[in-house]
Amino acid sequence: MKHFLKLYATFIAQYFKRLLEYRIDFLTGAFSFLFDQVTSLVFIFIIFNQIPALSGYPFEAIVFIYGFSLIPKGIDHFLTDNLWKVAYFMVRNGSFDRYLTRPIHPLLHVIMETWQIDALGEFLVGMTLVLYSSSQGIITWMVSDILLLPLTMIMASLIYTSIKMMVSAIALWTKRSGSILQMVYSTNEFAKYPIAIYHRMIQFTITYVIPFAFTSYFPARYFMTRENPWGNIGGLFLLAVTFTSFGVYLWQIGLRAYESAGS
Amino acid sequence: MIHVEHAVKEFKKIVKQPGLKGSINALFKPSVEIVTAVNDVSFDVNKGEIMGFIGPNGAGKSTMIKMLTGILYPTSGNITVAGYNPQKQRQQYVRHIGVVFGQRTQLWWDLPLSETFTVLKEIYQVETKRYQQRMGYLNEVLDIAPLMTSPVRTLSLGQRMRADLAAAMLHQPKVLFLDEPTIGLDVVVKDNIRKAIAQMNKNDETTIILTTHDLADIELLSHRIVMIDQGKRVYQGTLSDLKERFGKSKKIEFVISDMEQPIEQLLSQRFQQRGVQVYLENERGTLIVDRSIPSAIILKELLDLIAVKDISIKESDVESIIKEIYLTKASYE
Repeated sequence: MKHFLKLYATFIAQYFKRLLEYRIDFLTGAFSFLFDQVTSLVFIFIIFNQIPALSGYPFEAIVFIYGFSLIPKGIDHFLTDNLWKVAYFMVRNGSFDRYLTRPIHPLLHVIMETWQIDALGEFLVGMTLVLYSSSQGIITWMVSDILLLPLTMIMASLIYTSIKMMVSAIALWTKRSGSILQMVYSTNEFAKYPIAIYHRMIQFTITYVIPFAFTSYFPARYFMTRENPWGNIGGLFLLAVTFTSFGVYLWQIGLRAYESAGS
Repeated sequence: MIHVEHAVKEFKKIVKQPGLKGSINALFKPSVEIVTAVNDVSFDVNKGEIMGFIGPNGAGKSTMIKMLTGILYPTSGNITVAGYNPQKQRQQYVRHIGVVFGQRTQLWWDLPLSETFTVLKEIYQVETKRYQQRMGYLNEVLDIAPLMTSPVRTLSLGQRMRADLAAAMLHQPKVLFLDEPTIGLDVVVKDNIRKAIAQMNKNDETTIILTTHDLADIELLSHRIVMIDQGKRVYQGTLSDLKERFGKSKKIEFVISDMEQPIEQLLSQRFQQRGVQVYLENERGTLIVDRSIPSAIILKELLDLIAVKDISIKESDVESIIKEIYLTKASYE
């Protein structure tokens, strides 16, 4: 574990050095990042000001769900963005080879090699919205939430990560699964709002097939109403653990099928 | 150190008809063909040995190396390296090997070279004292100290290869795999790289497996070779054995100045019973002579017999032997 943390710190230090290596690019990136965050916050408030209530949810509740959905999305995006590269081109061009000649599990190696600093935006916007809306009296916080809320966020992030793991593993067979990942991943947009506003098919899909509803709507509803903890929170934990295990398993068998690329 | 038994690697390939139409057809009705890249190859390598893989493009050399390094799973067969199964025990196994793919780099592209070593130190958990000792040694062999502060992207191909070799050797692996280590390098750099490889083999008793197209790599480095063609092993042994067995003859080529004589008749009468083969094509002629017959005797007889403008003697070199083996596609074992 000590070795792992030291290695992770080394990788991340390299990541920052890489960012700083190209000065102009870094400064432009940092500026556009700030600009992005400010505009998206402004935009969200403009939109929500036009909708006082949705399917019976008051304005604050909608903001809470929306903000809640951005936090796990941001955490996952921040920590495991490299999986996209596996899906899009690492397998296809054979650069994945080098992960296999190092004494670290390739899945772990791919993930820990880099961060995606842009994702801080999603996280910070999410936090702002959750703090703002929950201060408007829609949630009565309990002492146990100090533990339960972060744990819920971790589990919800795992839903994102595990879906990315599973779909990127497909590339180990098909060489490229970026478009599938794009398609599957984009369904997370549905998680930003109360699922009651969607058609039954969509509700079914984001609950049982690609369970993004468990990354925001269900746990958010629990914190607001304290109803059905087993379904809303328990369901999330169960899904997060099974999906992650299955993702790791898919990688494991995918590595056997990996064919590299000619040299 | 390395034991390979009946290794087979098959790839599934989707066969497409040419053109967009073919691609669309293949999307809905793919016809799968199985390509055997490595077909029943067995060999052993001893500790401290340098073994060269040779073979034409697409012969299966890289596939073989990728199986040995644990990157690819063999379809069937057994592979053991340094007591490990490269696939099943991959994570422990790769601590004991170093890998250099000539066509790809494992260096951190955007950062100064020193940063690559910083990361590798952590990956392979090399202690600081040991690390300094190793870096000193690698600098001695590969002269990497002057490159340390340059970003990897600014290194020349030769410098990058030196750096890649050093990176693969930092954790003092038992086995070093080199896939085309001299590809694209100029003669002087090639020579330096070869010297460094030989030195590391000697100092650390590192077992080395290398693939190459450059026969000079083989001649200067390898103790033994395995020749693969179309996935099959066509030769295994030492280079001198190969020369001994297939390089028994030499060629005497000449250009005839006076075509008025009955050349063919004259030459056949004189040389045929001594086992010398005679080939004639217009004014050019070739004699294939056993190496044991002194060239001087043949030359004297030839010059006495006919008028010759030009003459040259060619010992059969490795390149021509290998060319012959590739072309005849026969197994010479």
